[in-house]
Amino acid sequence: MLRWLAKRIIAAALVVFVVTSLVFVVTHVFTDPATVSLPLEATEEHRAQRRAALGIDRPLGVQYWDFVSGLVVGDLGESYWQNQPASKLVLERLPATLKLVAGATAVTLLLAAPMGMLAAWWERRFADHAVLGFSMAAISAPPFWIGYLLIIVFAVQLGWVPTFGSRGFVSLILPSFAIGLASAGRLAQMTRRGIVEELRKPYAVTALSRGFSRSYTIMHHTFRNVASGFVTMTGWEVTRMFTGYTVVIEFVFAWPGVGRLAVQAIEGRDLILVQAAVLVLATLVVLTNLLVDIARRLIDPRVELA
Amino acid sequence: MTTVEGPMGPTSGTGDGEGAPSGSVTALADLRSHLRKSKAGVSGIVICSLFVLAAVAGPWLPLIKDPTEQSLPDRLTPPVGWGGTWAHPLGTDQLGRDILARLIDGARISLLVSVTAVVIAAVLGTVLGLVAGYVGGRIDTLIVSAADVQMAFPGVLAGLILVAAFGPSVWLVIIVISISSWMVFTRVGRSLVLTLKTSLFVEASELAGAPSYRIMWRHLLPNLVSSLITLCVLELAAAILAESAFAFLGFGVQPPRSSWGLMIQQGRNYVTDDGWWIVTFAGLAISVVVLGVNLLSLWLQSFNDVAEREQIILERPGA
Repeated sequence: MLRWLAKRIIAAALVVFVVTSLVFVVTHVFTDPATVSLPLEATEEHRAQRRAALGIDRPLGVQYWDFVSGLVVGDLGESYWQNQPASKLVLERLPATLKLVAGATAVTLLLAAPMGMLAAWWERRFADHAVLGFSMAAISAPPFWIGYLLIIVFAVQLGWVPTFGSRGFVSLILPSFAIGLASAGRLAQMTRRGIVEELRKPYAVTALSRGFSRSYTIMHHTFRNVASGFVTMTGWEVTRMFTGYTVVIEFVFAWPGVGRLAVQAIEGRDLILVQAAVLVLATLVVLTNLLVDIARRLIDPRVELA
Repeated sequence: MTTVEGPMGPTSGTGDGEGAPSGSVTALADLRSHLRKSKAGVSGIVICSLFVLAAVAGPWLPLIKDPTEQSLPDRLTPPVGWGGTWAHPLGTDQLGRDILARLIDGARISLLVSVTAVVIAAVLGTVLGLVAGYVGGRIDTLIVSAADVQMAFPGVLAGLILVAAFGPSVWLVIIVISISSWMVFTRVGRSLVLTLKTSLFVEASELAGAPSYRIMWRHLLPNLVSSLITLCVLELAAAILAESAFAFLGFGVQPPRSSWGLMIQQGRNYVTDDGWWIVTFAGLAISVVVLGVNLLSLWLQSFNDVAEREQIILERPGA
């Protein structure tokens, strides 16, 4: 286990290294932070000045070394839009994003597990079709639109929750649902399919024929066997949240997280800050994958992971 | 991560097994009889056809107004049923433009971007998957690790960096969507090739001295087609959603051109006042089209699922 863990951590670190290098290529070889920050009509002299100020006039190798050695000590460069270290700006916003992802994951799990079990319990009956209908709708609607619908109904019409911003627990509810519904839809279908498949297996058929109820068999036998897949898919959904959903949903709800910071940094033509936000989010994705692999291994020792 | 799972769970990776190509006539007949039994399939095809029709024939449709024509006195006219008139069935936006006309206009960019992106991803991903699976060795390791890194660095993040570096554009969105989707085709293609590779017909052509590109192109690829088409449809749904998200953030199509995501972005300041219909209808258009594509994909998956297909063929009258 330890050996496997060490290998897995090294692999994750390698992925982070490759990703940062790719990002460096885009932000320093194909273009550079000085060009991006200046308007198109800036004079050559002005550009040269900005390049020198940002240290972009040095050879690429030197810049790359600076970039990598900075990363090691947590230095992600200086944001020229805010005149502050980029890592500080991103880390300030990180708790809000983590809160949002936690809320969305809670919504996902609370909806998906019961819905998947119910659909499998009443396979091909009304509950099954209802869950399928909900899942298809949730998967097909863009999350940012779900966000606005929730705002229109629950904030504007009913006035139950605040519309924008982050004011305590209440304001977390709508964005969590906006993200969590689609994830719950996918996860519920996956759970249902998994349980239905398991119920056809000899051990489950035996349990059913010995008189155990369908619900008991699902709760005590089949769901455990689906758990490994369930955890993997949940992790998958969490990575989706870190990368796609939080960016748009934070934009919709004016939520002060990393995704919103990235969008603002793009508007502020601050390549260094965008780069920092993206690298932090990518690292979170890699970490999530690592945690999922460890959890799978703990749940189901049969899982052989390369 | 060892299995490939699309948004709907594990992709049923069942090619035609031993690769005995069934006659295309019977295959089509099977497909049609299967379709007749599937409400999801029919609704999916109807929705997708309407979408393509709106995208292709939009400007020539009768009774549809000019999507760019502004009329400030008519601004924020509510839809029919909420105090509007049939002059603007779905109401008007903040500049008095007809929402129905803009929705039809937006279908075009949505179809163009998503289809182009999926085609690029499918071609690139399939070629890499074929080569990785068939050639094996170091090339395989290289391609598989690249796919793994891509999995860990999802397209949206790449998209943010690229938009920050090069500015927003439609082409960039196409590129971003294809780089976030190629590895799905690579993984599925590769795993199918790995099982096909050991089958007799491949060994036979190897013994007959066929060059590897010929084996890949003539013998392996045809056996991947059905699975890959299903995957394309699944990825198309994701691509339409991704396009709308990028347009919504303002990173895709730029005004005065229109797209559904952009309509939501422009209408978002009116959800709290009287103007809920802009955001509602634009989002509804995206949702319905994506639902249509998802239904189509659900049906194709069930058709590709060998066990279920046999069941349906057995149930066919006269069989």
